[in-house]
Amino acid sequence: MVAAEVLTLEAAITGAVAAGTIYLLAATGEVLTERSGILNLGLEGIMLMGAAASFIFTLSFGHLAGIVASMVVGALMALLLVFFVVTLRLNQVVTGLALTMFGTGLSGFIGAPEVRRSIVKMLNPSVPEEIVLLNQAPRLPDAPIPVLKDLPIVGKAFFSHNLIVYASLIFAVLLWVLLFRTKWGLSIRSVGENPAMADALGVNVYRIRYLSTMIGGALGGLSGAYLFLGYQPFWVEQITRGRGFIALALVILAAWSPLRAILVAYLFGGIEAFQYRVPLLGLGAQTPQFVLMLPYAVTILTLVILSFSKVRRRIGAPAALGLPYSREE
Amino acid sequence: MPLKLKIHNYYIVFEKRYETGILYKVLVTIIAVIASFIIAGLIFLMLGFSPLEIYKMIINTFTSVGLMHETLLRSTPIILAALGLSIAFKMNFWNIGAEGQLYMGAFAATGVVLLHVYYGMISPDLLLLVMLLASFIAGSAWCLFPAFLKTRLGANEIITTLMMNYIAILFVNYLIFGPWRDPQGYGFPFSVNFPPYARPSLPFMSVGTLMLTWSLVTASLVFSMLKYTIPGFEIRVVGQNLEAAKYAGMNISSTIMLGSLLSGGLSGIAGMVTVTTLIGRLTPDVSPGYGYMAIIVAYLAGLNPLLIIPAGILFGGLLTAGDAMQYALSMPKTGAQILQALIFLFTLLGEFVKRYGVTVVRSGGKDGRS
Repeated sequence: MVAAEVLTLEAAITGAVAAGTIYLLAATGEVLTERSGILNLGLEGIMLMGAAASFIFTLSFGHLAGIVASMVVGALMALLLVFFVVTLRLNQVVTGLALTMFGTGLSGFIGAPEVRRSIVKMLNPSVPEEIVLLNQAPRLPDAPIPVLKDLPIVGKAFFSHNLIVYASLIFAVLLWVLLFRTKWGLSIRSVGENPAMADALGVNVYRIRYLSTMIGGALGGLSGAYLFLGYQPFWVEQITRGRGFIALALVILAAWSPLRAILVAYLFGGIEAFQYRVPLLGLGAQTPQFVLMLPYAVTILTLVILSFSKVRRRIGAPAALGLPYSREE
Repeated sequence: MPLKLKIHNYYIVFEKRYETGILYKVLVTIIAVIASFIIAGLIFLMLGFSPLEIYKMIINTFTSVGLMHETLLRSTPIILAALGLSIAFKMNFWNIGAEGQLYMGAFAATGVVLLHVYYGMISPDLLLLVMLLASFIAGSAWCLFPAFLKTRLGANEIITTLMMNYIAILFVNYLIFGPWRDPQGYGFPFSVNFPPYARPSLPFMSVGTLMLTWSLVTASLVFSMLKYTIPGFEIRVVGQNLEAAKYAGMNISSTIMLGSLLSGGLSGIAGMVTVTTLIGRLTPDVSPGYGYMAIIVAYLAGLNPLLIIPAGILFGGLLTAGDAMQYALSMPKTGAQILQALIFLFTLLGEFVKRYGVTVVRSGGKDGRS
């Protein structure tokens, strides 16, 4: 009976949107960051810190504080990255990895029950101990949109989620407008394509890279908060399980467009939601590991397909992606 | 225009340096490590742990002979994987997959032992040698696949090698929870215990010393390969100046494939070392992230194979100390990870200081070097 319900098309799309939002937020932010020429390999660590921050602040002051904290923490982590790679011109790959390792360690540390308890006690002493020690936070409530939620199939699939899901769609559309329909967007893209030229035309390369990376980081942090509060509200170390890195691959698949990122993110969300349905089909119950490999394998496959020259000619990475810029050279 | 940071009446000016001696580099690295200890101490203090206790435990790890043995055992897989990574990073092949390659090496070494234990294949005298070969091949295969995708199709190796990590770990988990589980193991996810002759030992030295010797030999081999052989030269040129390599008619694809073969193979051997010396069987948690620590160690050593030895021993020691902190201070085990990541970040800051000389200038004009 349960199986029949979760195997409908409607349930499949609902699951894809719910899981896809994790990828969408992270990938949208990363599209902005990469459009300005910065590769943020610290995304995985940023998402983990966002999740941990949302956990601690939700316990202390409620959901809103948790969400805001995750974005602030994400932006601060991104600030660290951008200081290293823009101001100090250090290698973006290595710095990003270092940031991911830092986020992995610190999020695991502050999320661990004993440390979490002392932090929450410091922030808000009135929170009862037994709630803090549970490895859970209250789930973000769903906020179905009236009228729209009653549409056939798409109603439940798209309009019966929590607020972050709708926000992620709005962010993606807004970012597309920003990048491709405004003067600012032109500046951001020119900084990512040819910073020397942009600089000569009076665009502040450093400021744009700082802002783009920090906004990208805030969205990465929010992605972590959504993952924990909205998707899987029980805490485990390394809760993201590589989704930050998958999001980096999705940016390539989306050809650095926030609108295509929506499609791509829901596609991968679908794969992730599918994982949890496989056992219900009576498959892979003995070998869950192979089912869990799916997103990673599909990511590799995607990169392979994207690498064929015919496909590659149609999509272009920002020309200055990953390269440090300095006026003296 | 050199970079300037203004603090009160002083400018800190960073100017590009073109030559730096090895002593200067080592000094900067040591300062970076000390700085990361201080910052980590502050973070731990803020989160309610005494930094002094933590420092005491870390120092204790390096001064006690008993713990030194454990440290050497734990540093060996890190050192071997870092040696492999130094080859890959030298040619700008971003192999982030040492962790997965290590798991595959552990898988292959265990597979050979199981062939012996269950089917009586391979004589005990040859067992370790076959395990060594198998783990090298498995590790290198796990690195050659992304290298192939990179050289033939241009697929980004950072992401593919990372994804391969997750796949390798899940694969090993499948084996241990499934067909390779010890039938007499009361259902625990372990393989059978390895027989004594499947675990390296020599009558006249401890396993720790043996492993240190093994690391030293491997480091010297990698160092000589990179410095004195033609493939080593090609690997360095491909990394430093791709255009020059093309112009000189080097076969870049095959250089990258060869470098990846060695890089993955060494991580594979690291996996064999882990299961044969530290654990003695295959378990789901073969590695506490040796492959990721190896990335930090390779950078801490400035990709110099000989300096990887002390850097690796430092990290082995931090792991040992991390265990002690977990028991004595009931500190989450991720504490050691924070310290490691900070060392990474400060090493990168050190890179910057090495590349750019630092001068402090008074905004009035008079300058004083620091």
